Amino acid sequence: MNLTIAFQMIAADVLKLRRSRGPMVAALVLSVGIIVLYFGVMEVRRNANLGGTEGFLNGITLLGIYFGSFAAILIGTEAGTADVTSGVFRDLVATGRSRTALFLVRVPAAITVALVFTFSGFLVTLGATFAFSGSAPTPDLGLILRSAGWVVVATAVVTSLAVGVGSLTGSRSLTLTAVIGWQTIASTLLYTAVFLGSARDGVLLIALSHLRPGKHYGAPDSPGSSGALADLDLPMATAVAVLVIIAWTVVPTIAGAWRTRNQDA
Amino acid sequence: MAQRLKPYLRPMAAARMASMIVAVNISPLIIETQGLTKRFGQRHAVVDLNLAVPRGCAFGFLGHNGAGKTTLIRMLLGLTRPDAGAIRIRGRVIAEHRPEILARVGAIIEEPHFHGHLTGRENLRVVAAVRGPEAHTRIEPALARVGLSDRGNDRVRTYSQGMRQRLGIARCLLADPELLILDEPMNGLDPGGILELRTMIGELVEEGRTVFLSSHLIDEIEKTCEAAAVIDRGRLIAQGPIGQLLGDDHTELDIGCEDPSAALDLLATHPAVALARKTTDGVRVTLADANGAGVINSRLIEAGIAVYRFSPVRASLEDRFLEITSRVGGRS
Repeated sequence: MNLTIAFQMIAADVLKLRRSRGPMVAALVLSVGIIVLYFGVMEVRRNANLGGTEGFLNGITLLGIYFGSFAAILIGTEAGTADVTSGVFRDLVATGRSRTALFLVRVPAAITVALVFTFSGFLVTLGATFAFSGSAPTPDLGLILRSAGWVVVATAVVTSLAVGVGSLTGSRSLTLTAVIGWQTIASTLLYTAVFLGSARDGVLLIALSHLRPGKHYGAPDSPGSSGALADLDLPMATAVAVLVIIAWTVVPTIAGAWRTRNQDA
Repeated sequence: MAQRLKPYLRPMAAARMASMIVAVNISPLIIETQGLTKRFGQRHAVVDLNLAVPRGCAFGFLGHNGAGKTTLIRMLLGLTRPDAGAIRIRGRVIAEHRPEILARVGAIIEEPHFHGHLTGRENLRVVAAVRGPEAHTRIEPALARVGLSDRGNDRVRTYSQGMRQRLGIARCLLADPELLILDEPMNGLDPGGILELRTMIGELVEEGRTVFLSSHLIDEIEKTCEAAAVIDRGRLIAQGPIGQLLGDDHTELDIGCEDPSAALDLLATHPAVALARKTTDGVRVTLADANGAGVINSRLIEAGIAVYRFSPVRASLEDRFLEITSRVGGRS
């Protein structure tokens, strides 16, 4: 398969995703709507930490770990399951195109669409950070760039996880339940299971939290502070966190590719 | 080899196909299976199937529901692997050359599926992207050909069953296919839709394409195809030109005449007649000799019995299908 065909296939998968009205509206609400709601609520509460670095870090946490990642899961799930659930997969396989190629193009397509929402949410966060900063300190360019990079990585890895699991199960509801359940309830429970020790380093959410920029900024016990919003960090080597994130990207992708190659069409 | 194919083909297609086979030395068979077998657990879906589909004709694949038609099609397209046997399509072994072979094959399996939230045109764009850049240039001609240019920007979920079938054909045409495999394409179509599809299949064959048409609708196979194969419980029961399957040796004659009783008396003892019986307006005779029709006609006229109808009785494919499958499968 040459690059032209690869790009055309990715563009076709992007088309399928952006025409899926339900998941797109939900993703918009989860990535941009929640950020607007957050700053809106803080404004109503006249919170002193509304804008500035504190608000910025809370915003990227919402995007990278909480609601923004739910949007990524929705998009990844749609990308991973749409061909199978619509019955089109069989017709695509009957063209003679390799099944691995049919799977692999889903990943960049889903990440591309997910990043559009994440970036939109990021820009809203950035705008509110400076608009509502008042006398509070604002993030420097370095922190903004590192935060953007972290949000991109978090979005990409969660999206590819959902694409892989979606392709593995072929079921939209099962994938959404499994991935959202894992990323919220199961991961939080594992974080609190102290007896597991360093085995907890293998949890994606904990590894992502460990790499979150500005994680030591603000007071953990202060409501509305970044420390209170995301406290799933555990002490571990940065290299370990990176390896965990890579594993959570590669393993579901391989599983999804294997299933796509071997399932009866 | 071209002569061997002649009984299968329409005249124009036969001439085109003959020159093509000679010019580029291609295989005269577009589909060829040898000893093809597929099991699901203990159940044999397809058993030792040796199918030979000639190029450039509409070929019917006939069988009851559950006879193994769709399983065979899925194996032809590499959607499921056979347990034994080999498949050659366009002269090549599918297991070794699947992408090259299927690049010029269009297929509708069971029923055409689409992304309902995309328009017809967008659905074709999705498949064209998978097929390659040339397929994009065929989207508009394909839509025009199936009469969907005006509805191409409507979402597929608003399409009728007939429109979906037509869009399925358009999707096949993106491959500029040498071979179209259509699995039960008449399902869910109204009489007008069936007629349209039959005409379209005829046109595709006239262009030199081969249409492999799987169906349980015997009448449609008879009207649409030049050749057919009959499958029953996974086994190939018969294959060949439709006329040959029907046993068109014209040994039975339906004779309309003025005095049926006198005609019966005359013909019952005639040496060219094996069997004769009276009908409401004449007699029906089974010839002892296939060339005896002229002799009988002369004898009736000599005897002063006016003959106003003299026609061979043609068995329908349905008769033959039921006869064959009942004999082999022990159906009552």
